[in-house]
Amino acid sequence: MNTDDYILQVKGLNVYYGAFHAVHDVSFHVLPGEIFGLLGPNGAGKTTTLSAVEGLLKPRSGSVIVSGYDVQEKPLHAHAVIGVQLQATSFQAELTVSEILKLYAGIYGVAMTREKLMHILQDIKLEDAAGKKFGQLSGGQQQRVSLAIATLHDPRLVLLDEPTTGLDPQSRRQLWERMETMREKDHAILLTTHSMEEAEAVCDRIAIIDHGRLIAIDTPQSLIDSNKTKPEVISASRRGKITLEDVFIGLTGKTIRS
Amino acid sequence: MQTTIPKTSTVLSSLLRADFTTQWRNRRSFLLLLLVPVIILISWKGIVDKLGGAFALSTCITIGLVAIGLMGYSNSIARDRDKGVFQRLRVAPMPSWCIMASRLLVQLMMIILLTVIVFIAGRNIDQITLAPAGYAITFLTAIIGGAVYLGLGQVIVGLIQNPETVNSTTRLIYFVFIMVGMFGELGVLGDQFKEIVIWSPYGTVKRIIAAGMQPETWNTEMTTALLLTIGYAALFSVIGIKKFKWNNR
Repeated sequence: MNTDDYILQVKGLNVYYGAFHAVHDVSFHVLPGEIFGLLGPNGAGKTTTLSAVEGLLKPRSGSVIVSGYDVQEKPLHAHAVIGVQLQATSFQAELTVSEILKLYAGIYGVAMTREKLMHILQDIKLEDAAGKKFGQLSGGQQQRVSLAIATLHDPRLVLLDEPTTGLDPQSRRQLWERMETMREKDHAILLTTHSMEEAEAVCDRIAIIDHGRLIAIDTPQSLIDSNKTKPEVISASRRGKITLEDVFIGLTGKTIRS
Repeated sequence: MQTTIPKTSTVLSSLLRADFTTQWRNRRSFLLLLLVPVIILISWKGIVDKLGGAFALSTCITIGLVAIGLMGYSNSIARDRDKGVFQRLRVAPMPSWCIMASRLLVQLMMIILLTVIVFIAGRNIDQITLAPAGYAITFLTAIIGGAVYLGLGQVIVGLIQNPETVNSTTRLIYFVFIMVGMFGELGVLGDQFKEIVIWSPYGTVKRIIAAGMQPETWNTEMTTALLLTIGYAALFSVIGIKKFKWNNR
């Protein structure tokens, strides 16, 4: 596949916070219709990498190209083809679900008819909460609104920062189904997660990042196969059968990060 | 594949609708901010003749402007930044200035509303009336004065990240401005202090508002006060914008 076909191409990314080198020379790409997982312990550089992809952080060097647009040089074009779900609450607590959807429809230039609004609300199972203020919604409901807005403008690339945190199993399953639907439409998804189960279940390829460096990148099964004989991976295994979590612990260590 | 960027005017109107709705939903706290100038006008009912109508109205408008800039604007910015509202808006296809322009336009409307309320209260409670030119110029000077306190509010959210600390700091500064400003200007704290207060952001704003109410009293001192007010607004805005971070994480 030609590099022009990549939905996202990250090349030699280096991000600093003052003197602290947070992301070291990270490179990867995401293909159309691919669900790509970025895994790593706390503070490994996942959210920093994602922020650089979103254009919220200016890298010291390297480039981020989204659907042909350099995020630093053509931020508006790049943002127009990206859908984002952030970790934080992200919306005005005083606005209702409908008002937030209308706000972002206006921002993304999407015509929001009453029928379309109802369709979105039904899709995220919030038709009864249309007039409810965002601040009054449960964590799971807020996540659903956030995901609906991330996909409102039919983006070519969807960035999800720990999307299933705080979700009950039903909501999690629903999110995975929605991701599958997006994949079928040839949209690419880049997600960060701490859940190995989620990564194994939904991601086509996974990159493991630690101390700001990309230490492994492959399909979940290939990561397991290529690392299952390593002593540190075997010692991390609890049930005999090597899982993605064992590979992750083996590669990033057992020490708890702050 | 062709990528369409939404028109800035469409984006701005969507933001404005949302920001005005948010302001409306928070109307109780805003009305409390407006209540202080009205209470002052009520409590000064018996001494307005002695103080002068322009003095009373300009004091009340200035206090309202301090409240809007310091408590209304900066607290809403600090709170939304903490929740990630700005971060989410910044990953949308629009220039970042649209976010702040919308917020400032809402505050501009609040300044106009404050001025109207003070005028109405002044006329009904203290029978203070101005010439039509006085009303018109006061709107203008109130907006210029309001820019000083919006700029100061911007400095506070630029220097302080935590929304609770922003809240307590703005309350403290608001209290200091009112007490030192009012008493200092009346000479209660000594002549030297009076001089400092007159040329402080509180004093210059109050003077241009009072002079705007009586255009015939405008002199070179008022022009100096106007230039200083513009200077304060520019200085605070530059520092506030330079120090401001969209994200406090």
